[in-house]
This record gives sequence, structure tokens and C-alpha cells, in this order.
Amino acid sequence: MIPAPFEYLAPTTVEDALAALAEHGDDAKILGGGQSLLPVLRMRLNAPEMVIDLGKIESIRGIRDDGDAIVIGAMTTHAAVGSDPLVAEHAALVSKAVEHLADAQIRHRGTFGGALAHADPAGDLGAPALALGAQFVIAGPGGTRTVEADDFFVDLFETAIGEDEILTEVRIPKHTGWGAHYEKFVRVAHQWPIVAVAAAVRVEGGVIAEARVGLTNMGNTPLRARGVEAALVGVQATEDAVREAAGKAADGTNPPSDLNGESSYRKHLATVLTRRAVVTAAGG
Amino acid sequence: MDLSHSFTVPTPVDATWAHFQDLGALAECFPGATIGDYDEQNFSGTVKVKLGPIALLYSGSGTFVEKDDQTHRFVVDAKGKDKRGNGTAGAKVTLSMQDADGATDVQVLTDLNVTGKPAQFGRGVMQDVSDKLLGQFVACLEKTLSEGPAEAPAAAGTQSVAGTSAGDEAQGEPAVVAASPAASGGEAPTATGGAAPAAPAAPRPAVSRPAATEDDALDLGAAVIPILVKTYGPQAAIALVIAVLAYLAGRRR
Repeated sequence: MIPAPFEYLAPTTVEDALAALAEHGDDAKILGGGQSLLPVLRMRLNAPEMVIDLGKIESIRGIRDDGDAIVIGAMTTHAAVGSDPLVAEHAALVSKAVEHLADAQIRHRGTFGGALAHADPAGDLGAPALALGAQFVIAGPGGTRTVEADDFFVDLFETAIGEDEILTEVRIPKHTGWGAHYEKFVRVAHQWPIVAVAAAVRVEGGVIAEARVGLTNMGNTPLRARGVEAALVGVQATEDAVREAAGKAADGTNPPSDLNGESSYRKHLATVLTRRAVVTAAGG
Repeated sequence: MDLSHSFTVPTPVDATWAHFQDLGALAECFPGATIGDYDEQNFSGTVKVKLGPIALLYSGSGTFVEKDDQTHRFVVDAKGKDKRGNGTAGAKVTLSMQDADGATDVQVLTDLNVTGKPAQFGRGVMQDVSDKLLGQFVACLEKTLSEGPAEAPAAAGTQSVAGTSAGDEAQGEPAVVAASPAASGGEAPTATGGAAPAAPAAPRPAVSRPAATEDDALDLGAAVIPILVKTYGPQAAIALVIAVLAYLAGRRR
């Protein structure tokens, strides 16, 4: 289907983009890589009068080392993130999640910041970002602010980004030397995950010293499985030992029911996938 | 597809019944809703829905095909259409009320028929659209219906929510959309001038309970019933129209 007519603007600076956003307000939509917005427009589930394309803003594209964190520009494509050696070394969980995110075409068009700002609860980036304690740098009319991952995901498709703001960068604290794995359960390839689990662990002498576990599509936002994280500390990095801790993965969650699975099924999946993710992350 | 839900409101049956006759007042509880023309028999209106990337405008109309003031029962035929022609939906809603020791038990039976175009999201997201919408509607109605002096302190606490509620409780009820259109005109219950309808965090004087009859395996039921359970009155017709379009939209992967 063909989208309703709209005006198009492609500013080259964040300031210009913010100005355009301020001018058009509710009638404007921000275009990142277009992998979620364009289908919405084509379905006519939205018909903004103005589309502001961030694709020409070079300053928010690319990956850099910033001491204790890796900084990923919002307009960096998934493919660029997935092939980046810095990310692989210091934020391996992100590399793993991107590896099987959607399909190759989408990975080359879709953007890291766009997917996070879109905040689809089944999106693959939320859980790793949450698990690694990412910080979201958001530019607005009053300057730039930084939002912690715990505060970023507010609700279904709703983030801390205000109507007049733009996500510019995501800072991911370095987790150098941590094992990581993203375990995703799909019925067909490159489907949205029915449930997925992002796990990063630091193993010392065969024992898990620290663990971070994020859940995808187990609620309206990505979730941290803090109960599992706590239970994993001091546990041998073996399947049997991890199993008990992983059993807590669905505690306190209220996952959706849909054609792909009932809520109870998702809860079960979460425990199984958590076990697999943690064991793999720990190198077991 | 048949859906069944029931709930209890703490007002006597006659008062509840009377409240449901005032379509204009009820519509004010619907964020983004306007009631156009209405009379004893017919009503029309629009509802604006916004969730993340989605912004839709539905227009619809309904007719009271039966209305019995004695038994407190009415039947509404409603149909709706997305402004841009993406789909249509029809719903036949039968609502009945019964006295329950000074409170009112309300029973709603809905027969849904839908056509339209679906959308692609990580899950049946349009159900969540109706979820949010209905959640706000019900919270507002409950507030209106149970209006009284005790309401004031509670109302003060209902504002902050959205945006700050991320905390550790990611799973609660759908948070209220922060920027709902000024919805508290008319018989605005409290003095929170220009305030949005009550957030779901507000105390809930009314008792809601799910009814168990649903003979259809379609996931609309599973996802929407918990909300519909709490839905009130003829505006449910409009709500259901949305729920239904939504359902369709959510099915495609």
C-alpha cells in the first residue's frame, strides 16, 4: 500500500532536526532506518504530515571507544554494530543479539537507535541494552540529557524520549571479558522472537562471579531477570547448576498471549532459554 | 465471536442506568473521543488512538436497537471505520444491569464482526491499543460513577504517573498515556483543572471481575477480555470497534 502524502526533511545536524521537530510537533515523525516506520506508513497506521529523516546527520553515526564505555551513534546500522570489533570485545552481548536480528536487509538499513527508540517489546536490542546497563543520550531543546536503561523503557512503544527530543547515542558500559549469549526462540527464521533471553556472565575459575540477564517479549518492556542474576552468583558454570537459578526467569513477569504462544508457555520458555543462554555465555 | 464480561459499580442500579444514558458525558471519559450527533436512538463519533508509531482516527456510529428502562437492558448495533479506509468493524453489544444490594452488577455481551487490513509488529500490538484506551476509559468512568467527597485526595495523586513509573514494576496495568486530550469538561469530578482522566493507579472503588464465557480460541478474547471485563456501557460499542480493528491489525506477522 502507498503511504498518505507527507513532507520530507533531511537535516544534516541534530540542531536542525530538533528545530524541525519543534516546528512540526505532533505532525512530525522521526525517520531512522525506516524499518518500522515505513511499514506503519504503508499500512496507513499513521499519517504524519512531516517525516524528518536523520540519515544525513553524520555526527550520530558510528561507534567509538569512550574509556569505560562503548558509544554507539543512534544512526549506526545493525550491520555496522554487529561487525564492529570494539563492540565484540567490550559488549559482546550486543554483537550476539544483532547477529540474528531480523534479516540481512533489515540489518543493513535499520538503525541501533531507531530500534531502541521504537521500543517494540519483541525487539532484540532492548534486553541486551537493559542487561548491560546502557545509558541513552537524548538531545532536546534544552540540551542533552542521559537516561539510564532502567528508566528508558517506559511502556509498550514508549520510552523516556520526549515528543520534542531525539535519541543521539547509546553508551554501553564495557563488559570486557564477560561471556555473552542471546538465545532467541522463533518459529520461523527472522521472525520477531516469541521469547528471547540476553545473558552476560563473568566467570572466575569455573564459578559465575557476576551475571546480567535480560528478557525480550516477556512484558510491555524489556525486563531484567534480577532474581536469576542474584541466584547465579557463586554458581558453578555448568548446566545442572545453572538450571535452578534459571527457573526464576519468569518470576514476576506477565508476558502476553498471542497466536504464537500463551502467557504460560512464554513463562516456561523464559526459564529454558535462560538456562541455555547462561550456559552458553559461561562457555559451558 | 462472542465476548462476555461483567463488572460491579458501587452506585444503585437506577443511578448507573441514568449515567449510561448521557452519551456526551460518557464520551468525555474516552481520551481522544468525540461524540457527534446523538439522540435517543443513534449516536456517531470519532476516536483517536495513539500508541508509539501508530496514530489512527476511527469514526463510527451506533444505534440502540433495544432499550428497556424497566429491566435496565439495552442492545446497541455499532459499526466503525478507520478514517483512511483500512478496515471496518461491527459489534452488537447487549448490556444489562441488576441490583446487587445497592450496587449494580453490569453484564455485557458482545458479538464482533470484523474486516480489514492487518499490520506488522512484534506481537498483536493493536490489542494493546485497545487495552490502553479501555483502561483509561474504565478508570475515568469509575471515578465519575463513584464521585464523592472522598475523591479529592485520591485525585491529587493520580497525575504524575506516566513517564516516571518505569521502576521495578514493569508489568503493572498499562500506564495511562500522559497527554490525553482535555477530557474532564462537563461534570469534571475534581478540581484538578485540565487534568487528564484518572490514572489506573487511582483507587478503584468499583469491583471488576472477569466472566468466564468465551467460546472462541481467537486471541482477541484472551488479550482483550481482561480489559473489556471492566468496560462500561454503550461506549463499549465504540471501544469494541477499535478492539476489533485492532485485533485484525495485530494478526498478521
